[in-house]
Amino acid sequence: MQKISLALTVMVIASFVLGACGGGAPAEAADKLQEVKNRGVLIVSTDPAYPPQSELVENPTRASDTKCSSDQHTGDELRGFDIDTSKEIAKRLGVEACFVTPSWDLIIAGSWADRWDISVGSMTVTPERMEKLYFSLPYYTTPAAFFVHTDNTLTAPAELSGKTIGACTGCTYDFFLAGTLQIPGETMNYVVQNPVFKGYETDLNALQDLALGDAVRLDAVLTAQPTGAGAIADGMPLKQLGEPVYFEYLAAAIDKSAGKNPVPLADEVSKIIKAMHDDGTLLKLSQQYYGLDLTTAAEAFDLAALKQW
Amino acid sequence: MAVNTIQPPGPAWTDPDIDMGHKLMAFERRARLIHALQVLVVWIVIVILLLFTLALLDFDPAYVLKHYSFVLQGMWVTIGVSLASIFFASILALMGALGRLSHNPVAQGISGFYVSLIRGTPLLIQIYIIYLGLPQIGGRLTALGYPQLGGLFILNELQAGILALSLNYGAYMTEIFRAGIQSISFGQSEAAAAIGMSSWQTMKRVILPQAVRVIIPDIGNQFIAMQKDSALVSIMGVWETTFRANRLARQESKFIEMLLLAALLYWLLTIVSSWLEGRLERRLAHAYER
Repeated sequence: MQKISLALTVMVIASFVLGACGGGAPAEAADKLQEVKNRGVLIVSTDPAYPPQSELVENPTRASDTKCSSDQHTGDELRGFDIDTSKEIAKRLGVEACFVTPSWDLIIAGSWADRWDISVGSMTVTPERMEKLYFSLPYYTTPAAFFVHTDNTLTAPAELSGKTIGACTGCTYDFFLAGTLQIPGETMNYVVQNPVFKGYETDLNALQDLALGDAVRLDAVLTAQPTGAGAIADGMPLKQLGEPVYFEYLAAAIDKSAGKNPVPLADEVSKIIKAMHDDGTLLKLSQQYYGLDLTTAAEAFDLAALKQW
Repeated sequence: MAVNTIQPPGPAWTDPDIDMGHKLMAFERRARLIHALQVLVVWIVIVILLLFTLALLDFDPAYVLKHYSFVLQGMWVTIGVSLASIFFASILALMGALGRLSHNPVAQGISGFYVSLIRGTPLLIQIYIIYLGLPQIGGRLTALGYPQLGGLFILNELQAGILALSLNYGAYMTEIFRAGIQSISFGQSEAAAAIGMSSWQTMKRVILPQAVRVIIPDIGNQFIAMQKDSALVSIMGVWETTFRANRLARQESKFIEMLLLAALLYWLLTIVSSWLEGRLERRLAHAYER
């Protein structure tokens, strides 16, 4: 009986070993960047639950000459702003981009165990995430802007001081209005003083209340520029008030606890993103997917101020 | 004193009550048919009511028609993951049951603890712990100088999913296997002992072959349950039915459409599985028919 159960145990373990030994690098690499180049593949994590950043392609044709393993997905099987950015980063690294699709929770949890090299997933740079992850230079931003009813006659966000402003409860807009928001690498300018804050479940509820009329329930709503632009495109009688008041920076992230030193890869990816800002690649993608320029403000981000290493 | 005995029936003898017997059988057959028809009518009424309820939902059938084939491809992954997991779970359950029934305190302790721990925690949390936690142990082992051993702990999403489902169902099935083994009457092992079989021989040649017949239908039930629990591996990014339905739903906010589609596909899969299981069960019962 012992022999047989031992044999069964060995079989079970062996089946996992065989599976686990699939992706060994041919040559011993000194760091993560070298490992990626040796492998010829950059493994990117993305959750295709967030169009237009990342979504599934139905009935894709998987390229026959792909280096992606069978449990990874090729660039043809997904699409979106994040996906195109990933592919361009991989191309400039001289490798192919392969994708894995763990849920968002598992990506921001860190400790990726080298299952994937990088997240290009529109991740906002926050102090909490910096404990587990290294961030690259941001590749685009989510600008936060005030929106008012079309009947409103104010001309600048500063004139909203003391007015009733709606936003989602517990999100960054809430903290900005309260004057407590902190974003790494950014100096906040709280242009609106002492607003009367009205909290909502989601931004959309606030925009709907604002659409009822100027100063009926709200004087203004603070939300993401693309969200507000989307509501206007859907026919709500709203307009943006002045320039965005702050930016959330969205960057690629790399696991700090990677088996090989991840700093050279993070450095190289930042350089590539800088080059993609300079030659207009990112701006073009932003126009294609959002119809807005969301990238120019990201280039000015002071990455050194994060003091990551 | 003469004793009236019943004459033994000759070759031309017929039972005078044979007509009554035939009538009874025909009557029973008709009663069963009517009953089956009544059940069918109830099903049809429920389906119609359900369709009326669905009509109240904000439902776009065109979206389902356009995207169902992509979700359907996920069924193969669902079936594959379920088959692999039920296979490993059965092995675990057999070892667990033998452990629970053995007189060895170590084997009893291990299997008892395994069943208690796994049955006492949610499957979703087990999946998270296996996916996120095991690699940390692996990393520590690699750092200590055992990279071979450490690599074993880093499972990809499919391996982690199959391991979690196998461990979870293995614990529930341990109890099923134990009950199946115990259902074989004690006389069988006594008889085996009387002709000089060892306890392992008894288990292998006498008890298990008979217990399998009792256990198989329950494995079938667990397999059907597993097909639906396999939806949980979607959180790790396995492109199975639920993952595909959910991510497609996000594209145009067609949640009800895609969720109902996934539900329908799972339902059809379990109907087919139940039917197959019924056939297997009947086949196993052949040897015991009179």
